Amino acid sequence: MQLSAEDAARSLAAIDASRAAMRSAVRANRGHWHLWLWGLIWIAMAMLAEFRGEAGSRLFPWLVLPGVLVSFMIGASQARRIRAVTIDRRFVGVLAAVILFGIAAPLVLLRGPVSGQALFAYCGLVAMLCYVVAGIWFDVYLLWLGVAMAALILVGLFVFPAIFWWWIAVFGGGPLLAAGFYVRYWVP
Amino acid sequence: MPELDPVIHQPVRLQIMAALTNLGPREQVDFNFLKSRLALTDGNLGAHLLTLEEAGYIAVAKTFVARKPRTYVAATPAGRRAFDGHVAALTAILKPRGHA
Repeated sequence: MQLSAEDAARSLAAIDASRAAMRSAVRANRGHWHLWLWGLIWIAMAMLAEFRGEAGSRLFPWLVLPGVLVSFMIGASQARRIRAVTIDRRFVGVLAAVILFGIAAPLVLLRGPVSGQALFAYCGLVAMLCYVVAGIWFDVYLLWLGVAMAALILVGLFVFPAIFWWWIAVFGGGPLLAAGFYVRYWVP
Repeated sequence: MPELDPVIHQPVRLQIMAALTNLGPREQVDFNFLKSRLALTDGNLGAHLLTLEEAGYIAVAKTFVARKPRTYVAATPAGRRAFDGHVAALTAILKPRGHA
């Protein structure tokens, strides 16, 4: 099969155009909506705890449960356009173990009274462990996001307990929002 | 020396393969979504997908979502290799001109 240089250049240009069209579709299908949603939820939870104390903390489930539902709906909507062929069984197994540990550990290890900050930090660390697991299997940015956020949560808990909730709003919700912008606009 | 692939070289199939190889190895794209992205008609896209499927370059999965039939398409590993080879052959044609 013979081809002139002009025809080859035209074909390569067509490939670039087609790839660009699909790249923008893939970008729109990434996890930025989830990251923005959970960034806002983290900020809202931190501000509720900061300004309304114990009463504010009791409202956390009313943010988290709708958040899970909305995340599920976003995932289902995205899967209509581009979906994963198979869910990796190892990934599901590891994620199940992480979640099981997340539920069992406080029952076994934290029998005594625990501060609201420590409990929030613990739940945040389990969530970040899930990000790390997802990062290993799917997209490495999630791994680094999980590691960085876990470190920031621990710094807030042990170094800045007096401003913990402000810390979580800025360095918990903030990185999630920033990561959303990163995957939407910067990742090629 | 990589060679041009006559199955992939057809302009519409070239577009389709370029789009599909841009997805992750475990990802599939919805037929209608691909059709809108590439500005093709049902019949045109369907015919070219059939040719690519027969060549073993793509896999087509038919399923039901909320009781509605849906068709998902993905590039196979053989299709990805063939497409990479085709792009390498196109690039090789341009190279002598680049060095001139």
